[in-house]
Amino acid sequence: MKHETRESLVSHAEEDPSLDHALVIEGARKTYGGRRAAREAVHDVSLHVSAGRVHGLLGPNGAGKTTTIKMLLGLVTPSAGRFEILGRPATPEVRRDVGFLPEQPYFPPQLTARGVMRLAGRTAGMPATGIDRASDELLSRVGLKGRERSRLSSFSRGMLQRLGLAQALLGDPKVLVLDEPASGLDPVGQRDVRDLIIGLRESGTTILLSSHQLSEVEAVCDDVTILNAGRVASRGRIDDLLNVAGRTSIRAISAEETLPEPVARVVEDVALAGGTWVFSVPDEQVRAVVDALDDAGWRIVSLSPKRESLEDYFARLLAGLGGGE
Amino acid sequence: MFDRVLAIAAAVVADGFRRKLVYVVLLFAVVMAAAIPALPSYGQGIVEAVFREVALALTYVVAMVIAIALGATRLPSEIERRTLYPMLARGVRRYEYLLGTWWGIVVTLALMLASLGTITVLIGWFVYDVFMWRLLGGVFAIWLESGVVAALCIMAATVAGPVIVSVAALAFLFAAHVRSVLFQPGTVAYALYPSLDAFNVINTVAHGQGVTLAYAASMLVVWGGFIGVLLLLAVALFSRRDL
Repeated sequence: MKHETRESLVSHAEEDPSLDHALVIEGARKTYGGRRAAREAVHDVSLHVSAGRVHGLLGPNGAGKTTTIKMLLGLVTPSAGRFEILGRPATPEVRRDVGFLPEQPYFPPQLTARGVMRLAGRTAGMPATGIDRASDELLSRVGLKGRERSRLSSFSRGMLQRLGLAQALLGDPKVLVLDEPASGLDPVGQRDVRDLIIGLRESGTTILLSSHQLSEVEAVCDDVTILNAGRVASRGRIDDLLNVAGRTSIRAISAEETLPEPVARVVEDVALAGGTWVFSVPDEQVRAVVDALDDAGWRIVSLSPKRESLEDYFARLLAGLGGGE
Repeated sequence: MFDRVLAIAAAVVADGFRRKLVYVVLLFAVVMAAAIPALPSYGQGIVEAVFREVALALTYVVAMVIAIALGATRLPSEIERRTLYPMLARGVRRYEYLLGTWWGIVVTLALMLASLGTITVLIGWFVYDVFMWRLLGGVFAIWLESGVVAALCIMAATVAGPVIVSVAALAFLFAAHVRSVLFQPGTVAYALYPSLDAFNVINTVAHGQGVTLAYAASMLVVWGGFIGVLLLLAVALFSRRDL
């Protein structure tokens, strides 16, 4: 019964069939332990990531995000499922087109940044002549210019994270898998990572992004899959998931301390800060509300579909499932 | 494939030297220099043999300690710190990783043992005025045995942590040198027992004529057999492991 409840919450936003899928996971399942003490970490998880899009993989701790990624990348043997990268089964040869940033990457502190990049480039099969040039360019791109020859023992947590990103980008992979890419970064670093991800998407790179930072996911992802207790709890385009059907958000400015009476009767979610009012109204009431505000001398700043924050959506979803931490 | 194996091996060698293994060579040289005055005066010819025996015994201990230290810790630490993940995720096959790691340890040991052997020969030449080049045959045998121990450690490390692997390696070393105590030569058990006695040439080198080319070739065959079996087992075990 509970299973049906979960499935019923799965959004059925259809994937665009005109788009090629750069990543396909179908019916992924992973069971740990023997028959008597079997524990299902991932149950029938499917996701399709269209080429050139950023797909967020969300879920509370233990939801199965990392296990799903590890199955895709050959680090964990799946109990069942089909895994494809760029239209081909995810074999080691095919994975050479994938860059991977694990959660909290570690590098030997005796190495230099360039040493890490050299090893990554050589094991990725890059020609030796091009590795240093590409490394310097990427280190500069992630904000480590001038630190190429620095030993990693002098790097902060955020700098190591940036280095992890740079090694994942080595060789211009067509697909990137990023596990908590903004972990350990300060706000400026987080913004840089977002800009980097957006830039990569614009250059056609497909990105699978696992993150706890919902604001990051909301800012950069086109689609999301939300996992809970090893199952898909919801998936779809982020706009489809977060837009509240049938309601419009209105932002208006006025020195008044109360809303006009005909407006006050129909609005919800009212917020006021510094003379700027934000509230939502049913779509069919928008015309009447705008007219009433005009008549009262208010200035309308914007009208937009009402959108829930990903945090709210996530919390509501998990509360409905009885999951989360 | 070879590029990736060599890249991993080069990283292991570089890491070994960054771990200040060169200090072990220096310590060895100091111990050797200090040990010479402590050797009893057995008379000409005998004291040189005792020197060779002590030098090879010390080299053996150093080689085994380094082989176990590198072989037992490399894989578990790479898994624990997830440094292995980007490599495997990027298409490096698990057997390539294991082969590269073993090869890197073996090359590190070769460089170390070549240094120790050279130091020993030079000290012997300086102190006793005898160019003991046959010692290098003994060092070669020790290197071969340390390569087997490194392969055993890597195989065990695919399923166990460093402490268990180290204990297993020491137990293996002990068991692999007691064949003649346990079984009579010529019996099936004696023939099948996995013994490393083939690499024990300390007596021959210290007191005899050293290692002949034919014997060195036979050691290589035994070495190849051990390495083949151990690394195949390592690959079989590691390919099933979830990381």
